[in-house]
Amino acid sequence: MIITKKRDFQELLDNIRDYKSFFLIGCSECASLCGTGGENEVKELAEALRAEGKEVTGGIVAKTGCQVLGTKKELKAYKDAVNSAECILVMSCGAGTQSAVELFGDKPVYPTNDSLFLGNMTRFQVFDERCSMCGDCILDKTGGICPITTCPKGLLNGPCGGMKDGRCEVSPDIPCAWVRIYERMKKLDKLDELAESVIEVKDWSTAQSPRALSTREKKEK
Amino acid sequence: MSFREALESGRFVVTAEVGPPKGADVEEMVHHIELLKGKVDALNFTDNQSAVMRMNSLAGCAIAVQHGVEPILQMTCRDRNRIGLQSDLLGAHALGVKNVLCMTGDHVSAGDHKGAKPVYDVESVQLLGIVESLNNGRDMSGNELKGATDFFPGGVVTPEADPIEPQLMKFEKKIRAGARFFQTQAVYDIEKFKEFMKHARKFPVKVLAGLVVLKSAGMANFLNNFVPGIKVPQELIDELKAAGKGKGLDAGMSICARHIRQLKEEGICDGVHIMAIGMEDKVPEIMERAGL
Ligand code: SF4
Ligand code: SF4
Repeated sequence: MIITKKRDFQELLDNIRDYKSFFLIGCSECASLCGTGGENEVKELAEALRAEGKEVTGGIVAKTGCQVLGTKKELKAYKDAVNSAECILVMSCGAGTQSAVELFGDKPVYPTNDSLFLGNMTRFQVFDERCSMCGDCILDKTGGICPITTCPKGLLNGPCGGMKDGRCEVSPDIPCAWVRIYERMKKLDKLDELAESVIEVKDWSTAQSPRALSTREKKEK
Repeated sequence: MSFREALESGRFVVTAEVGPPKGADVEEMVHHIELLKGKVDALNFTDNQSAVMRMNSLAGCAIAVQHGVEPILQMTCRDRNRIGLQSDLLGAHALGVKNVLCMTGDHVSAGDHKGAKPVYDVESVQLLGIVESLNNGRDMSGNELKGATDFFPGGVVTPEADPIEPQLMKFEKKIRAGARFFQTQAVYDIEKFKEFMKHARKFPVKVLAGLVVLKSAGMANFLNNFVPGIKVPQELIDELKAAGKGKGLDAGMSICARHIRQLKEEGICDGVHIMAIGMEDKVPEIMERAGL
């Protein structure tokens, strides 16, 4: 899921100092799980804004904020509340915020969160990053552990000289990705595979933003 | 005799290391180049070591060439993408630099520009492959070059890495990618280093043992606690302590000289790489004590 973090409230107030009335849009997916855009957070933000003397005309927790058409449909029922707000606040990731920008061409839209990374939830509201969506997965070659993301240097062929007692040079809190990959391949009895192949220089064009994808054509044919 | 010829002839070679200045003043660097001229087979120039921004390694190498000293260009993957690396390699070659040491490079978080975007577009194994392709007259995309390079490529290895297996895997990958010589992370336990060399001797590569001169027991403890891949045995720490106040450096130089002598006399490896880290002035005396 996309991991988000609430932005500093003072910074938000500063962003919206010119406006008086707001409509809030949360998201029931990632932002809800991150505690940044679910039912409770929408309520809390509405209260906090009112305490600052602002008006909140309404709010919604969109099912999937990054789904532009779906969100548009859901918002139909809130037409009046949306129309009477000067400004839209989006409590999801940057993608959700930009759905709103697309839907409200004539209204200012501000994010209430910072979008951090594509993350795994390991415990309730504890997240770590394991995939950075490089566009050409090499997990097939590395025992299912991604060195591009979990090694701070993104090394592709083994540990650097900074590894100490199996931990990473960058921080003892990070296990060395290459020691993990090595251990796992050893367990799977695939060390030869790991040792013999030199992983080639990556083609980073697959990670070049902005990326887009449509699989429609194929289906329609 | 060039560094490469010396190694290939089987002579025990000595290299040392100079860090280019933090600033535009090259006087001290030139002093160290002159001091080590004729004494070492080649001089490494570090590449923004510890991710601390300094003058580039290439300029240091070019100045060494002007002064008649053969340089080894340390090249890390931290600060340049594949275009920058290849371009700098071609430039280095034009300036008379023939030895290149391919390294990953310390992470920016270790240095003095912590907010920098680390590059690592390619890494050390792949960089060795790139050098090989330039030597074969093509860039890494396969485009033909007007004039091939003639680099002598090398790599680094950490014989005291713990765990060692993943490090040895990478060592072998570097050899397959074209590394012809290795300079190791600092070693202090010669018996353990012999074990590593038993393995390394299976491959057609030359190995220079890395030696860092100890200044005090405190420094030894610091290396043990904070520097990855370095293990100073307790006997040596005791020896430094026993030397007494103000005598640590002298004892450290003796240890270094003793190790060089043993490595050479027992034919354990093909040479030594002395990292004096700020005490380049002492290198000639260490070599003298080692009987070189
Ligand atoms: S290689 Fe890593 S970053 Fe790329 S897609 Fe696979 S898991 Fe994600
Ligand atoms: S110690 Fe391991 S995880 Fe950390 S940068 Fe080096 S190879 Fe990557």
